Amino acid sequence: MSNKPHVTGPGTNTGNVIRDSMMGLVPGTVSEIIALNGHVWRDSLVSPSLLEILRLRNARTVNCVFCKSVRYDVARADGLTEDRVELVADGYETSDLAPREKAAIALADAYLGFPAGMDEETAGRIAEHFSEDEIASMMVALMTYNFTSRAAVSNGGMPEDPLPITEMQVAVAGG
Amino acid sequence: MTIPITSVTLDQSLSRAGPAAASFARLWTSLWAQDQLPQGLLELCRLTFARLHRDQDELAASNPLAGERPDMDVLSRLVAEDKAHDSPAFTDGEKAVLLFAEYYWTDTQSIPDEVADRVKAHFGDPGLVLLIEALGCIDGRIRTARCLRDMAASRSKMEEVAHVE
Repeated sequence: MSNKPHVTGPGTNTGNVIRDSMMGLVPGTVSEIIALNGHVWRDSLVSPSLLEILRLRNARTVNCVFCKSVRYDVARADGLTEDRVELVADGYETSDLAPREKAAIALADAYLGFPAGMDEETAGRIAEHFSEDEIASMMVALMTYNFTSRAAVSNGGMPEDPLPITEMQVAVAGG
Repeated sequence: MTIPITSVTLDQSLSRAGPAAASFARLWTSLWAQDQLPQGLLELCRLTFARLHRDQDELAASNPLAGERPDMDVLSRLVAEDKAHDSPAFTDGEKAVLLFAEYYWTDTQSIPDEVADRVKAHFGDPGLVLLIEALGCIDGRIRTARCLRDMAASRSKMEEVAHVE
């Protein structure tokens, strides 16, 4: 892993963290990415706290130090405390997370796995807790979190040590 | 015959998710319309990922956004057979992109500097950024398609069992 980023941002200070990142170097896609991030947080068919659990599960698997340090304001407002965030870990199945939250993590793990995909038991468990519309919504969120976190990681320069927890407003990361 | 869910056909399955899915579909379309990388090169990356995922449905999928170039059939076959790096049919720039894609897929954290530098040498910083964005979306869509196919198969099986009972 590189100690410094392969590519740096455009040097702008627009106030939007995505536009001011390296993604600002491709004008034809950056606005779509910003809009997508906003839509995921504002228009998804599951709660912000469940989205945050998916995002943090992804961040943990991808090992994006930046993503792991962020907490979205809407998820906190929805009641996701740090105590509950800490449960999104290896032993989540035996934790106090709700069955629906555990099923969401199982979906994230199926998506993130090598190979990606799921067995019948996992598929049945997810279908028991979520409608097909909700599953589609979570898949869109997972893809969004995954490609943005992997963009940060693949660009190099990721800190080795954990960063302080920082609250992120949807307004500065979404359109 | 039913067309399987793949990265190419995924938007139809996701549209039930509403505005976020529509937004993702717009991003997907925009990725293929950029000029930081040559026509067809992202499609070769998609086929590289399909091969690495050992996903026959994905390999067989026809991508209307791929971009036109006369040698696409030949290059696609070489990528699918994992013969791109030894073939004179690919330019150094194309080989640099495909090598970056393979590292990205294998371990996003461990892409050597020289591999990224080779991409930048041919396509500049914007080319590398577009590549990183596109690889994430392509891989994510292949993963999502696999999950949705598995869920659909499970649902069909349960419906068959219920019908018999």
